[in-house]
Formats: sequence, C-alpha cells, structure tokens
Amino acid sequence: MSEKNAANRLNSYVNGKKLVLERMFEAPRELVFKTFSESEHLANWWGPTGWTTENKSFDFKPGGVWHFCMTCEDKNQKDFYGQKSWGKVTYHEIIAPEKIVYTDTFSDEEGNVSSNAPKQLITINFEEQSGKTKLIIQSQFESEEALKAVIEMGLKEGMASQFNDLDEYLKQLSN
Amino acid sequence: MEKILSAIAEPNRLNIIELLRDGPCTVGEIAEHLRLRQPQVSKHLRVLCEAKLVEVHPMANRRIYKLHVQGLKEIDSWLDSFRHLWEDRLDQLDDYLKELQRKEKDE
Repeated sequence: MSEKNAANRLNSYVNGKKLVLERMFEAPRELVFKTFSESEHLANWWGPTGWTTENKSFDFKPGGVWHFCMTCEDKNQKDFYGQKSWGKVTYHEIIAPEKIVYTDTFSDEEGNVSSNAPKQLITINFEEQSGKTKLIIQSQFESEEALKAVIEMGLKEGMASQFNDLDEYLKQLSN
Repeated sequence: MEKILSAIAEPNRLNIIELLRDGPCTVGEIAEHLRLRQPQVSKHLRVLCEAKLVEVHPMANRRIYKLHVQGLKEIDSWLDSFRHLWEDRLDQLDDYLKELQRKEKDE
C-alpha cells in the first residue's frame, strides 16, 4: 500500500439516490475489465485485506450468477478470523470493456438469499483516460428516501444543536 | 439497518424526522404540522422508536418526541463501512493490477 498517491485516492460523493465512488488505476481498460470478468482474477483481489475468495460458480453474462465464499485468514482480525461470508452477485448488463451492472447480496452456502438481506444495485463504468482507467462505481440503495434523509439530516453537525433544543424546550415546559 | 431503512422509506415518517430536526415535539404538534390524525402519527412514531431513530421523554402528563442519536449514527456508520469496504477492495485491485503488469513485462 506504500505506492499510493493522491491521484489514486478514492473519491466518493452522493448523487441523488446513489453513492458514487471513483478511482483511477494505472492500467489499460481491457486489463481492468478482465479483473472483473474472469473468475480467477476476481478471486485474486475481491476479498478485503486478509480475506480470501473462493468461487463456487461463475457465469459472466446477463442473468448469470457469481456465487462465492470469502474467508478471513488473518489472525489479527481476531473476531473475524476463520469466519466465512457467502456472497451472490447477479449480473444484469454487461458491455465489455465499458460497463457492468449487477446486484450484490449475501447468501448461504447453497446460494439462497434471505428476503431481508440488504441488496445493492451496483453499476461499474470503466473509462479509458490516456492509457489509464477510471472506475466509477455507483451503488443504488433500495430506498431513495432513506439515503436522502441521511444526507439532509447532516448527521454530524446536526446532533449537538438537537440536544440544546431539547434542553430549551424542557425548560420552557417546566416554567 | 434494515429496520432503519424501511422506517424512513415511508414519506410521512421521513417528514416526522425532518420536523423533529427543528426541535422536539408532542404527538399533537406533529399531527398539526403534518396535517395527520393523531393515531396515525402515534403509529409512525412507534416504528421510528423501534428503529431507534426517535425517542420519547415523558414530561409531566406529556410525551415529548425527539431524534435519537443511536439510529442516526447507525446509518452513518453503515455508509462508512460500505465506503471502507470498497476502499479496501480497490486497494487490493490496485496492487493486483500492478502485479499483473509486472508479470506481463517479465514475460
């Protein structure tokens, strides 16, 4: 991770109901697309740090499913060490080497998805920029209002004044 | 998290949250502001309380509703964890792409 520089940093922002993540990669677009479209490549990088990915099935086409298991092999991640997490990706749209649209969710070993598991519709665009590749990852949340609410509430700074308001209000009532 | 998302997916409940941003209210005040019937407001408040987005403070014979930090923090950390997961994953991809290109050169 020592080779990072500012230009390669992840840029994230919220656009309407979508959370957007952008990042540049110093690699040609065809190669970056390959790391998303070929089973062996995906397994080599998909899991977070310290987690390995094993593919149970992989069918890269619209309507096709990628069913995989991530296992935590890192003893330093105490509680997570040895844990397994099954994931299921269903592809909706594929335009090589430009775009992939899929749904990402948790599943069990057999690939069953529980009805209350959070699902995310992800769109990944691969943009060629003079030999480099810009990845634009858009995650659409199930509830448009939910995300909007979060942003509008301006979580961090909003809460302190909320407490002052209550104090004031309670004072008024008790007078 | 599922509970929270479905709690605020309902427009009236979202309106209640937005109203409570401006300060705590009683059921009657909420009903009046949003032009809803009180039993309807009470029902929505129950869902919001269960999702820990709103909490209630009894005050003499009145019940005052206000935003609850816990649920709001949960939404925030959920968004954060999603961002972190991708950050971490894309770091791995970056390293992997470098490795692939190094191998290509060597061959």
